[in-house]
Amino acid sequence: MVFTLKSKIWLTVFAIVVMFTFFTLFYFPAQQRQLLLKNYNTEVQNLANTVALGVKIALTEENFEGVETAMQFVKDDPRLQFVSTVQFDTVWTADHHHYRIKKTFFKTFPENQQPSAGIQSNNSVIVKRGVFKTPVMNGAILLGFTTKEINESQKKIRFTSLIVSGIVLLIGILLGLLLARKVSVPVLALRDAANRVGDGDLNQKVKIDSTDEIGQLGKAFNNMVEDLSKARAALDENNQTLSDTNLKLNTTLVELKATQVQLIQSEKMASLGELTAGIAHEIQNPLNFVNNFSEINTELIDEMKTEIASGNLNEGLEIADNIKENQSKITHHGKRADAIVKGMLHHSRSSSGQKEMTDINALADEYLRLSYHGLRAKDKGFNAEFKTDFDEFLSTPEGKINIISQDVGRVLLNIYNNAFYSVSEKKAKLVADGQPSNYEPTVLVSTKKTKNHIIIKIKDNGVGISKKVIEKMYQPFFTTKPTGQGTGLGLSLSYDIVTAHGGEIKIDTKEGEYAEFIIELPC
Amino acid sequence: MARFAVIFCLLFSGLVSRCQSETLTVICNQNGVPTEMKLSELKSVLKGERQRWNSGTKVKIALMKTSTSIGKNTAQVIYNMSGDALLKFWLGQTYQGNAHAPKFFNTTSELESFVAENPGAIGIIDQAVANNDIKIIAIDGKTQFSL
Repeated sequence: MVFTLKSKIWLTVFAIVVMFTFFTLFYFPAQQRQLLLKNYNTEVQNLANTVALGVKIALTEENFEGVETAMQFVKDDPRLQFVSTVQFDTVWTADHHHYRIKKTFFKTFPENQQPSAGIQSNNSVIVKRGVFKTPVMNGAILLGFTTKEINESQKKIRFTSLIVSGIVLLIGILLGLLLARKVSVPVLALRDAANRVGDGDLNQKVKIDSTDEIGQLGKAFNNMVEDLSKARAALDENNQTLSDTNLKLNTTLVELKATQVQLIQSEKMASLGELTAGIAHEIQNPLNFVNNFSEINTELIDEMKTEIASGNLNEGLEIADNIKENQSKITHHGKRADAIVKGMLHHSRSSSGQKEMTDINALADEYLRLSYHGLRAKDKGFNAEFKTDFDEFLSTPEGKINIISQDVGRVLLNIYNNAFYSVSEKKAKLVADGQPSNYEPTVLVSTKKTKNHIIIKIKDNGVGISKKVIEKMYQPFFTTKPTGQGTGLGLSLSYDIVTAHGGEIKIDTKEGEYAEFIIELPC
Repeated sequence: MARFAVIFCLLFSGLVSRCQSETLTVICNQNGVPTEMKLSELKSVLKGERQRWNSGTKVKIALMKTSTSIGKNTAQVIYNMSGDALLKFWLGQTYQGNAHAPKFFNTTSELESFVAENPGAIGIIDQAVANNDIKIIAIDGKTQFSL
């Protein structure tokens, strides 16, 4: 059960009024009655003692002034109910074996009152005894005073208390109203305003005229709402700025992505450009065969015609066999050129993203040659030895691995290009330094099948890679090559491709001596 | 013989003494009190039954204490009571508020002085005394009376 503030105020006031009413109606009158009774008992006892003393003096000194005065004093008291003198006589019991005290009323005033000898105080009368002993008579004064006056006093007190309680209740109601007005109403107004502020309306103001804590609370609330409003405006402004910035960033991101795609394509085309010479060389070979064998076949066909015309059919048939043999060679080298062109087209196209069972040895070898011949075509002075050490199992149908060959080929091509560039740089540097040229640039490519991985190692004896470069070499657009010779995306893309295959690239290098890239692909 | 003589003397002296105590005289203040009255009137006054004299003066009773021989005589002659009974009688009267209790004195001179000083006062002593303040009341025509 939840009490409202107003209910709590009313309950508090009600509880105070009830407690006060209980106090004034019951506790206070009861206390007053007890006090009055105590004083009354004392007073009556003193009067009884006074009368008893007067009687004693009267009967011993034969001086009745004291008892007259005391009696007169008692008789004049309107509260007197009776005053009796009880005479104590020691008499024999009926069997004359024991004594007993016989109490008889000697005199009672007023005479119409006949109290019993054993009368005790009760709600209506206070009875007190004053004992006296004289040679004439032993006895006691029995003084009875009515409590009517006390009861009336108590009634008056209760009536007064009732009036006071009524006044207090009235004051309580007025106080409750005042408190509700002074406390509850402003607090409820604050609550409503706070709720509206919570709903987002920051134009709320509470009007509280008082200067007490409630007024201070209202003022603080208004200040808080004003600050909130300002903060909200600033926040909105910042949000707008952020939104604009975000929009710009999004636009920039889109542009960047587009640029990245373009860059990737550019890098691809650049590598393709580098390959063009190699490819051209690769194509040139079969084309030479095709041309040569075509020329030979042309000559052989002429010879065959001559022989047939001469009737030398057997010789004609031999020439035909040679033509056929040459034709098969032409076909072979034509297919080879076709394959190279298809490979080039394959490389230039965007990745299909589809994995296929691939002979990793053939892929590594093909791109190694493309890279080498590409560099050779660009720089006639370039020369390097490349060696392969392939795990033959990987060339078997069982040894093929499921990869996106186009992407992995691009990785290999990047690393080969870097390896050949490195050995080329080292050689050029040695030449520039005038050192003896016993340096043999070499690139070694090896593959190996482990339990769960295919490991491809590309090791060169070039300039190596410094620690500083290692830290940054996978970052996009980072390159150590001169401007225009590298996009800086090769290793970055290679890293992404290998990790996308669930593999990893490691580097083992010694600056100035060698660098070895180790590619691990899951199989 | 001597012993009988002593006993006789004692009895005789007691008899004489008793004869002397039985003679009482009623005195009163010169003002407000009649000079003679009957014995019944006297008893009525001394028992408090009459509160004022004919003159309107308040009756004030003066008696010798019951411990004195005059007091005892007075109790017997006037009230026909013992001394203790007289005291209880007056205690009862005081209780009921029927009358003012008498003033009791140890000596006749004190009693005479009281009577002399209080108009309406009446007292009982054993010998006749009369002066400017006190007069003797004749009871049934006698200034002295006894049982």
